[in-house]
Amino acid sequence: MNPVNYVYLAALLFTIGAAGVLIRRNAIVVFMCVELMLNACNLAFVTFARMHGGLDGQIVAFFTMVVAAAEVVVGLAIIVSVFRTRHSASVDDANLMKL
Amino acid sequence: MNSLLGLLIAAPLLGAAVLLLGGRFVDRVAPVLGSALAGLSFVLGAILFSNLLGKPASGRAIDSDLFTWMHVGTFKADAAFHLDQLSMTFVLLITGVGTLIHIYSIGYMAHDEKRRKFFGYLNLFLAAMLILVLADNYLLLYVGWEGVGLASYLLIGFWQHKPSAATAAKKAFLVNRVGDIGLAVAVFLMFTTFGTFTFQGILHPSVVSSAGQGKATALGLVLLLAACGKSAQVPLQSWLGDAMEGPTPVSALIHAATMVTAGVYLITRSSAIFNAAPTAQLAVVCVGAVTLLFGAIVGCAKDDIKKALAGSTMSQIGYMILAAGLGPIGYVFAIMHLVTHGFFKAGLFLGAGSIMHAREDEVDMRKYGGLWKKMPWTFATFGLGYLAIIGFPGLSGFFSKDKIIEAAFAKGGTEGWILGGAALLGAAITAYYMSRIMVMTFFGKPRYTTKAEGGTSPEAHESPAVMVAPMVVLAVGSVFAGGFFSLGSRFLHWLEPVTGHSEGHSPVSTGVLTAATIVLMLLGMGLAWFQYGMREVPAAAPRSIWPVRLARRDLGQDDFNHAVFVRGGTRFADGLAEFDAKGVDGAVRGVAGAVGGGSSRLRKLQNGYVRSYAFSMFGGAVLIVAATLFMRAV
Amino acid sequence: MSATAVAAPAVHSLWTTAAAAPIHAPKIEYAQLSPILVVLGAAVAGILVEAFVPRRARYGTQLAVTLIGLAGAFAAVVGLAATGYATTKADLAAMGSIAVDGPSLFLQGTLILVTAVGVLAIAERGLEPQSREVPHVDAFAPQAAAVPGSEDEKAAARAGWSTTEVFPLTLFALSGMLVFPAAGDLLTLFIGLEILSLPLYLMCALARRRRLLSQESAVKYFLLGAFASAFFLFGTALLYGYAGTLDLGGIAKVVTGDAAPNAALNASAHGDALLLIGGAMIVMGLLFKVGAVPFHAWTPDVYQGAPTPITGFMAAATKVAAFGALLRLLYVALPEMRWDWRPVMWGVAILTMALGAIVAVTQTDVKRMLAYSSIAHAGFLLTGVIAGNKQGVSAVLFYLAAYSFVTLGAFAVVTLVRDAGGEATHLSRWDGLGRRSPLVAVTFALFLLAFAGIPLTSGFSGKFAVFSAAAKGGAVPLVVVGVLCSAVAAFFYVRVIVRMFFAEPRADGPSVAVPSALTGTAIAVGAAATLVLGVFPQWAFDLADKASVFIR
Repeated sequence: MNPVNYVYLAALLFTIGAAGVLIRRNAIVVFMCVELMLNACNLAFVTFARMHGGLDGQIVAFFTMVVAAAEVVVGLAIIVSVFRTRHSASVDDANLMKL
Repeated sequence: MNSLLGLLIAAPLLGAAVLLLGGRFVDRVAPVLGSALAGLSFVLGAILFSNLLGKPASGRAIDSDLFTWMHVGTFKADAAFHLDQLSMTFVLLITGVGTLIHIYSIGYMAHDEKRRKFFGYLNLFLAAMLILVLADNYLLLYVGWEGVGLASYLLIGFWQHKPSAATAAKKAFLVNRVGDIGLAVAVFLMFTTFGTFTFQGILHPSVVSSAGQGKATALGLVLLLAACGKSAQVPLQSWLGDAMEGPTPVSALIHAATMVTAGVYLITRSSAIFNAAPTAQLAVVCVGAVTLLFGAIVGCAKDDIKKALAGSTMSQIGYMILAAGLGPIGYVFAIMHLVTHGFFKAGLFLGAGSIMHAREDEVDMRKYGGLWKKMPWTFATFGLGYLAIIGFPGLSGFFSKDKIIEAAFAKGGTEGWILGGAALLGAAITAYYMSRIMVMTFFGKPRYTTKAEGGTSPEAHESPAVMVAPMVVLAVGSVFAGGFFSLGSRFLHWLEPVTGHSEGHSPVSTGVLTAATIVLMLLGMGLAWFQYGMREVPAAAPRSIWPVRLARRDLGQDDFNHAVFVRGGTRFADGLAEFDAKGVDGAVRGVAGAVGGGSSRLRKLQNGYVRSYAFSMFGGAVLIVAATLFMRAV
Repeated sequence: MSATAVAAPAVHSLWTTAAAAPIHAPKIEYAQLSPILVVLGAAVAGILVEAFVPRRARYGTQLAVTLIGLAGAFAAVVGLAATGYATTKADLAAMGSIAVDGPSLFLQGTLILVTAVGVLAIAERGLEPQSREVPHVDAFAPQAAAVPGSEDEKAAARAGWSTTEVFPLTLFALSGMLVFPAAGDLLTLFIGLEILSLPLYLMCALARRRRLLSQESAVKYFLLGAFASAFFLFGTALLYGYAGTLDLGGIAKVVTGDAAPNAALNASAHGDALLLIGGAMIVMGLLFKVGAVPFHAWTPDVYQGAPTPITGFMAAATKVAAFGALLRLLYVALPEMRWDWRPVMWGVAILTMALGAIVAVTQTDVKRMLAYSSIAHAGFLLTGVIAGNKQGVSAVLFYLAAYSFVTLGAFAVVTLVRDAGGEATHLSRWDGLGRRSPLVAVTFALFLLAFAGIPLTSGFSGKFAVFSAAAKGGAVPLVVVGVLCSAVAAFFYVRVIVRMFFAEPRADGPSVAVPSALTGTAIAVGAAATLVLGVFPQWAFDLADKASVFIR
């Protein structure tokens, strides 16, 4: 199969993730959508690595996974502490600061 | 030696900083500290002087680059100093006479509560003046120029509780601003014409001539405007008389060592520009000649001793400006007269201060008389200063003023005759008004009644030694400086490498001129003696014929200024204010309202919801990508 | 990451036959990487301190470790610069991952100094009200995990706990910032971005007072930051797809045509689209970090909610690092794309300057006002970036150094003005401050004047430099907009000054806490830098000028 199709798939996944960030209210789900976007990037990297016949893209995918894991640690810590304070994980409830 | 140059300026600057910022902690040491730092500056000046003397005449210069102030593109401004014979002369005069005035002030201001500030301002004045004369470029000179203006404003208005002093300070400041605009324009012009501010880069005949005569004339005229402001020359002379509202040591400082000499310095320093612009030179000599007569006539009519002396200063500076306008035949003599004038005018003002000190600040000469017995030291020093200023043979003024008169005649042609005649006439009037002051103050019977005799005036007494000593030093200078400078043309040889010099050929022989000067001087003295010495001086000024009344009113300078500038200016300002209120303010308010309205509306975008922020980012990303692709497509 | 030139068929055989081939260990120039390594080392040491040193001694130990680490790192930067790595010996280290050149060293030096000053404000423990049991209270939550207002939190406060983790977190953030502007390839750039961001997300949530706001700011910052990172990463992927390499220099070569792009992709005529979309998305990720419109929305909320010392550090240091990275990306990887990215950047710069300046006019909170001001300044900096010449680089470098110290000083002053509820950030509470605390008010006025770009402050020198560089680079209309926006901005800065000095003080107005030597030093350094760079800017201009050449 033409590997370019995987790039299209990656773009699609990325868009789905972005749309999720824009429309979902639950902070955990929003965050998962961001992870989906990162994974779309990984797919794109691996596909391009295959097309170029290089290893760089695959290596980046590993780095991305590590970064995503670190992001989960930090993100969940923040989201959980907010949840414990407000008893709500909705990002729309956190709007004390505006204007 | 280079670092000494910086130190020379740093000493009074430090004094100003410590005294003005130090608060009450330095109150007690203020007079001594201020004077000591001025003295230190003088000592450093003397060391530099001896160093200069050790060098060959052509290479007598010390340069000191402190730091590059600003360097953007071709715009380069350095904080750099240049010491040559001309600035050295000024440094010695400023710091020497300045120090004496500081010392004198210890006595004069002994009872003033704000003397810490006073000495701080004095130090600031010295520092600004030193920056002015030591700068190696016009931009830094401008810094010193404005510093002098500021310090003079603070000092003239020192007794700001008196409305007259506050008004006088404001007037001095405003009139000086007019001159400052001239200097500012000159600096702009120089940069656009020559691309630099430095003396070295501009003041060279070939450089100036490359700019063309029109540019040189324009530069000369704006520089002259600047000089008129600081040196109180017609038409910007009106501040000088009112500036007498400041404490008397300030008057001495302004008139002898600093401030009014700045204009002469500026013209002499810019000699290369003036030499290339005969029209500007003509303007300079006209200003000088008019002012020397103007000041002398005003001096004749004043009963206030300080204002009479102020008129005299105006007139003497007029001599210097005249000499400077004559070109290479006059520069050296302008500066020489400036130095000798520094001695005797400082001495005269300090003497006047001493009299006021004794008479509880009485300045009306009609209430003086017969003081010579009560104040022998003041009488002796004031008298020597008097003889020097009227050009009594053998004393300082004789040598320096004679040279200027001679040079004026040497200008040649009708011009020479007119200028020389004016200078001669000025000499006669000088003798008249100075004799008038002398006679009214020291001779005759006392025209006041002391408290012991049932009157209101205190008994006159001689001033303390700390005030007398500087007067004695200045009197010695008044007597000998001129002769010392002229002996073997010492001053000429010293200054010539900087200003250049050419001998003029006077149509009248030197002997005849000298004789004429002396005769005219004696005439003036005689007239004054006849009017004030032989007769009783009335205690109130008599109603006189209109020329005298006009002279008493400073020849109508303030009436003229009021009618033309103040009233016209008020009307113009009213018109502007109306335009401002309706046109500009309307526009500004409109813009402000639009910005405020836009702000209130735009800030609503910041609604606090993360998802809407994310949406704006997403939208922004889409836009940027689209725009990038679009740019490639077109 | 250097391009590993392996032929396509060889890929599959790599994990089957690699054992036979000798593996070359990468060459790492430890000396040239020493600034980053020293900071990372100090951060790890800080974690160990957290684990092993008794609670009482932690604060002192952490502060000492942090400052020693920073001093060492700064010495390393100076040493590298002195031995010529900024000019003649500039080189790519660690297999091309880290560029050791003029801009890197200049920005790294600036970042370390900024962090050192920021740490002083972070370490302040004398401003909060203290009790006999708890003599030292800092600006951070006693126990970040405890629910605000709960018994746990009160117990932690009574026990005098404090979040000394901020010190290693600061150092980790700094190490990311040191990598960010020095990154030689896109992967390193991404890693730097994440290392600098993750600690900052956490630090935002650590405020002792107003914890709801603090946590909210952390959530917003984190979610938006992660969102932006995803865009950045996808852009990286697309650029990699276009060029087949992650090297900034390698990408530039493919763009200019010195090296061939992927033949298969080119055949499908998507090559240019990949380049343009990828470049735009990466630039967008960086614009998010600098707070440019339309990616600015997080700035006011996060600046307001985060603990003020952290806001100061973040506002100053993040901007330096992110602009460094933006400069490197645009000048090293995409200079040939200038005609594509310049018009877009024009629009972004104009929007950023205008929106920042205009919205700041109606702000009522000091920290939010400074946030919008920082948005406007991002716009001014962008004009320098757009200049596209060497003068523009040096002007941006100078502006960053000047701006960061002003920002640090201003936020440090904000920590001093307090009332019973903590910092009094509402502008109306600052009325008449100049009468009660002239020194604090004068210092703050100095910083505001510097923000406004009044001559004799560093703000003027910086603005003058970027605007003249932009004008020289042909962006005259942009300069006109910039000057107009400066005028609008000057309005709200001066309004604060007017309030401080000419408004009647309020009877219930805030008090000004007397800072310890730590915050005092931070403010003094900020003020001194503001004045020195304003009155004698020349040496710094020269330094920035010397440091303005990127290595490819």
